[in-house]
Amino acid sequence: MDLSRFKECSAAYGAERHRWPEREHPIYDRFADTPEGRAILAEAGRTDRFLDTLELAPPDQRRAGHIGALARPAWRRLGKPAAALAASAAVGFVVGYLQSQGTTDAAVVAQLLLGPQSLQEIGL
Amino acid sequence: MKPPPDDALDHALMMAVGRRDHDAFARLVARHYGWALGFADRMLGTRHEAEDLVQTAFLRVWQGAARWEPNAKVTTWLYRVLHNLCMDQLRARHAKASAPLAGEVVEALADEAPDSEERVSSLQRAVRVRAALDRLPVRQRAALVLCYYEERSQAEAAALLGVSEGALESLLSRGRTTLKKWLRDDLQ
Repeated sequence: MDLSRFKECSAAYGAERHRWPEREHPIYDRFADTPEGRAILAEAGRTDRFLDTLELAPPDQRRAGHIGALARPAWRRLGKPAAALAASAAVGFVVGYLQSQGTTDAAVVAQLLLGPQSLQEIGL
Repeated sequence: MKPPPDDALDHALMMAVGRRDHDAFARLVARHYGWALGFADRMLGTRHEAEDLVQTAFLRVWQGAARWEPNAKVTTWLYRVLHNLCMDQLRARHAKASAPLAGEVVEALADEAPDSEERVSSLQRAVRVRAALDRLPVRQRAALVLCYYEERSQAEAAALLGVSEGALESLLSRGRTTLKKWLRDDLQ
């Protein structure tokens, strides 16, 4: 356990004990409060303080929301109103077509086409 | 900003993401976006590039979640994805020899708090630190960002960089020595 190792660690990890590897804490404790150790830590501390001046602007959480939504299927990203509109148009098309063919029980046929689970999922 | 500590929740979210649960993915992104952006921002030196890179990283998480090993920490895995993307981007930037926009973060901060002389001086120092970090060799910068700013353990940082802990110490030491030389006037 010597001062040169103390110096090497302060050059790599700085002046704060918690930044040093745990296995080096004994050497920190041995020299930190000696005159040589204090001088070495003061030098490392100047670099630490300078590194600390690098501030970052806070993150834009809307961007996080946007990324979170990217994995959703396109129709879900549009939201329920747009999905409901699209579904209504599709059902209208099917009903219109079936009526033109003389079939009257169009809702049943539409449900069979889309499936009850899909209707429930899009909020209908 | 540090990664959140709740590994159990991350584990549950990742399992759900692997089952293509969109809500779990949105929660995972919300939990990790802040620190992931900070890491990418310090590595790349520009907020705009960092935002795009973090988006790419999370989409890779979405695509690869089914292959995630449940014994791996989510933050470690995400660091690895982010780190690899950052290295690719920095290498591409080096190939194009394009200069990073060191002042971008300071402009953003100045917009928020344009006041005192001390603040301006602090922002100028931040510009110089960022410019100095940008000039460091990529691996020295990565070592400093991981160990100093992100406070990752030596073992984790060394594993992410693919080096021994002794080599990590050497990268840190050389990085700090170089910064000290470049920033001599500010440090006095």
